[in-house]
Amino acid sequence: MENFDQKLDSLFAAYREAVQDPDASADFMPKLWSRIDAKRSFVYRLKRMSQVAVAAALAACLLGGALITPLSQRTPHISGTYVDVLAEAHAEDAVAALGGVRIDLLDADQQ
Amino acid sequence: MLVDFEQIQKARSGDDAAFNQVVLAYRKRIMGTIARLIGRPEDVEDVAQEVFLRLYYSLDQLRTPEVFEPWLHRLTVNASYDYLRKQRRRHESRMADLSEQQVMMADASAGGKANTDERHRTQVRELLDSLMGSLSEDDQILLKLKEVEGLSLKELEKIYRVKENALKVRLFRARQRVLRVFEAQSPKE
Repeated sequence: MENFDQKLDSLFAAYREAVQDPDASADFMPKLWSRIDAKRSFVYRLKRMSQVAVAAALAACLLGGALITPLSQRTPHISGTYVDVLAEAHAEDAVAALGGVRIDLLDADQQ
Repeated sequence: MLVDFEQIQKARSGDDAAFNQVVLAYRKRIMGTIARLIGRPEDVEDVAQEVFLRLYYSLDQLRTPEVFEPWLHRLTVNASYDYLRKQRRRHESRMADLSEQQVMMADASAGGKANTDERHRTQVRELLDSLMGSLSEDDQILLKLKEVEGLSLKELEKIYRVKENALKVRLFRARQRVLRVFEAQSPKE
């Protein structure tokens, strides 16, 4: 195994020698810039589309709000709990329900 | 650093001439690394352009000059990894279409055209690539960065953002695996 360890090290070194740093072709930079520009225009289109989508969503929200607001204003305004409203509507019943408490201030002897 | 950080800052703020300077400074080194990582000379330029394209669109994320080179290395590793993965899929489907005899004839004719030096280089490349074939693309790249590119564990730690010990374990296992295949492929003495 040790022998193969050394052989493998030599093979790595030989590989390093066999594959030298290549030179770039003359159209390396023009091709790179055309790829950058292609991606830039794609990103721009994507950005533009997302802006349009956000604007459309905002408009839909505003429209929805404008339609719902008058409808909600038409319903009677209720403040307080159900019990409060019920008590207000039947004020007399409510007092009767409590029942009148008769307090005799005079002693029975005096009567 | 092959360029001043000022140059990188200029490129970052949208100065195309400064970006060109950065590319020209690192192009040869990056292409050399890619050539050794992917092992296909005809596709080196394409992968290198992909690296610089990614660099162009991620320069604004760079915070300090010290991280520029490890970061460029990381982009190189990622682009090479993506290439190798695609290549493996393509290779599998292409080889499935050819008969064994056709593959042997193609190999023989390729060898016949090469001169002695070139043949030797081709043999070395093919031998190492076949040994590396037993590893995942990820481990192939890691082992080549260490053994062929000669990067230190500290440099690898910065590129991979992984603890040194974890890298050591991965490297050891990858090397052992390659050694086993090497031993099995070699004729018995």
